[in-house]
Amino acid sequence: MTRGLRVFWTGFVLHFKNLSASPFMMTTAAIWPLVYATLAFLMFRATHQAPSLLYAALGAAVMGIWSTTATSAGGAIQQQRWYGILEILVAAPTRLILVLAPITVAIAGIGIYSVCSTLLWGRLLFGVPLHVSHPLLFAVAIPAAVLSIGLLGLVLASTFVVYRSAQHLSQALEYPIWTITGMLIPLSLLPGWITPVAWALAPTWGMRAVRHAALGGDVGVPLLACLGLSAAYTLLAMLLLHHFERLARERATLSLT
Amino acid sequence: MIEAIELRRTYRTTTGVIRRRPLEVEAVRGITFGVEQGELFGLLGPNGAGKTTTIKMLITLLLPTAGSARVLGLDVVDDAREIRKRIGYVFGGDRGLYERLSALDNLRYFAELYGVSGKAQRRRIDEVLELVGLTGREQERVEGYSRGMRQRLHIARGILHDPEVVFLDEPTIGVDPVGARELRQTISDLVAAGKTVLLTTHYMFEADSLCDRIAVIAKGRIVGEGTPTELKAGVHAGRVTEIEAFGVDDAAVTRLKEIDGVTAVNVEERDQKQLLVVQTSGERELTAILLAELDGVEVGRVASREPTLEDAYVALVTAE
Amino acid sequence: MRTWLRIFFVGGLISFRALFSWIRPSVYIPTLLLGPTTQILFFAYLGRTAHLKSDSWFVVGNAVQSASLAALFGMGFAIDGERWTQTLSAVLATPADRAALFLGRALPVLVNAAITASTGFLGGALLLGFRTSWSSVPGLALLLVVASFACTGLGMLIGALGLRLRDVPIIANLTMAVLLIFCGVNVPLDKLPGWMHATAEGLPVTHAIAAARRVADGASLGSVRTPLLVELAIGAAYLAAGFVLLRVFEQQGRRHGTLDRA
Repeated sequence: MTRGLRVFWTGFVLHFKNLSASPFMMTTAAIWPLVYATLAFLMFRATHQAPSLLYAALGAAVMGIWSTTATSAGGAIQQQRWYGILEILVAAPTRLILVLAPITVAIAGIGIYSVCSTLLWGRLLFGVPLHVSHPLLFAVAIPAAVLSIGLLGLVLASTFVVYRSAQHLSQALEYPIWTITGMLIPLSLLPGWITPVAWALAPTWGMRAVRHAALGGDVGVPLLACLGLSAAYTLLAMLLLHHFERLARERATLSLT
Repeated sequence: MIEAIELRRTYRTTTGVIRRRPLEVEAVRGITFGVEQGELFGLLGPNGAGKTTTIKMLITLLLPTAGSARVLGLDVVDDAREIRKRIGYVFGGDRGLYERLSALDNLRYFAELYGVSGKAQRRRIDEVLELVGLTGREQERVEGYSRGMRQRLHIARGILHDPEVVFLDEPTIGVDPVGARELRQTISDLVAAGKTVLLTTHYMFEADSLCDRIAVIAKGRIVGEGTPTELKAGVHAGRVTEIEAFGVDDAAVTRLKEIDGVTAVNVEERDQKQLLVVQTSGERELTAILLAELDGVEVGRVASREPTLEDAYVALVTAE
Repeated sequence: MRTWLRIFFVGGLISFRALFSWIRPSVYIPTLLLGPTTQILFFAYLGRTAHLKSDSWFVVGNAVQSASLAALFGMGFAIDGERWTQTLSAVLATPADRAALFLGRALPVLVNAAITASTGFLGGALLLGFRTSWSSVPGLALLLVVASFACTGLGMLIGALGLRLRDVPIIANLTMAVLLIFCGVNVPLDKLPGWMHATAEGLPVTHAIAAARRVADGASLGSVRTPLLVELAIGAAYLAAGFVLLRVFEQQGRRHGTLDRA
């Protein structure tokens, strides 16, 4: 167990460092979320019945984390392939899940830059008051949200070990995940049947935890639900990876660029 | 240590652009060989012969389509994870490292992945850096490394977990001669330290100088196996005479081939002259007889030598 | 005339093939066919969250704007990889021939943009209950084509710039972001800061969207004649600018030997 955690942590640090050294990654992570933050701010400012701008800022910040993950998670596998490292990773005696999970979670972790730039943008250009109700819980909720998004990305990325074109499908999930997980749109406004789907998505709870930590409300339940579902995603990813790794070895798709 | 029995591997690809037709390519067609403990075994063959495919089956990255293989007594299909703990895999070329990070970062990461952790990790990393001669350069970013240095780092990575068997796929490809020589020394040191090494290469002299035993692969099959000396002697025992000639015609070549004791005549075009490479069996000195047959043809340098591995290799590979 | 048409179609074919080298079904369906609908759904619901305007308002705005994705990227890639077309155009004799090749290249991109954008309307109708009278449909279709034309024009300019600046995806993404924010797609023009509104007047989709919203509400095509023509003019201006820029880079490239980008 401890070895697993250590492997995960070492991997996370390495990939976080590697991604941070990429100018393309950094500009995408920092700038693209600002587009949607600006839209949210402008839309909410246009009427007097809209939720607060801080609500918008938080939602846009977490949207940014998903953005980075949706576009890059699939690409991460491709990138390891391109580096020529995918082979080495699969040939290692470590379970593939402990190799891939740090990558997708590191990508989500880069989302921290999105969170910072979004909140700063909101503060500087739109005067969003950055007042947080429960700072300590907020500091826990953000990594939990990052983890939940990273692991959702892992489930998606597991399929890319074999099906390389699936990465475009993950990009197409950008808007839908934003919509369903209630990052900006309250679940109550969506059709009733979406609610159970939303509840099955860990990021929904992660977002709720972040929002309640900042604006007030129960943080405990969302946090637990978030972490519990994240654990379930990890198990799902393990099963998928086991199946897909074997397929990749049969079809010899590991090293082809 | 390593056992391959009738290994086969077929690739399914598609041809054509608009109407894609499936195509089956059999890259490895029934390969059988064995490697003893402590041996430095070479898999020698031209590009596309199936060397890389074979090695990938042995290191559990590819499943064989037929046949079986065992490494350290474990099956490559069923016991993959156990095997991976005890083997190292190193390949040549520029890729395979995180460029923007330091060598140390890379090694720490792979050490963790390969199960070397805690206090042992720091010590082991220092050990392998020492072994490959990169001590003092580990803080530098990999993107600044030369090809030779990268290769050494690859080897360092491959042996971090002190594997019993090390697989090297074309380790000196693209490396400058001095760097390559150092790499070969490192590889020898690995074997001296008690490891079993399987090496693939298409460099003749590398196989000749390093390997205890060699298997020659061509078009997915083994066409020859043995020690370098055996291979040189086995195919065309005897001597090789090289004759520089100007304007040799086919009739003359045919006459040479008919001489008793001549096993092969190869003509290489070199600008205005040709190089006749005549392989002869037996110990008899045939130079005078050869030259007699070439009466009328202008002849330059004549040299007689022992067959090299290259001669044996060319003969084996072109025999198909 | 026959030569002109032939060159026109050759240009079209090249562009069409370039389009399909990067658009495979696995990319096309999620990104271009389903994409506009996912965007519309998101913004429509966001509008409801903000108590801003109506679903219809967002459907029309985002459907028209989504033409820009296909147009900007399509045009960008159509120009980017075409080294041998530059050789071709070096061989072409008259300016009319040049124009034919140029326009031919734009056509498939325009058609593709219009098609993908119309899926947005379909999605909006199916999932959000977007309704408009049958008599409005031809007008909407025309406005969609005109907007696609304007986006293609901008795409031509960006593609030409991309020849020099090399990073087509980043420029295209940024442009789309600007269109999304400035052009009254999701934020009413009168609620935008003055300078954004002013900029939007010179950008594609702004006028087409305003006109399309009125037509969807029942206005006649005649009553939106002015915005339609303005949109057309904007598209033509960008197209012309792109054409000029391409020629300039072409000449420069030939002089400095930089045309062949590795």
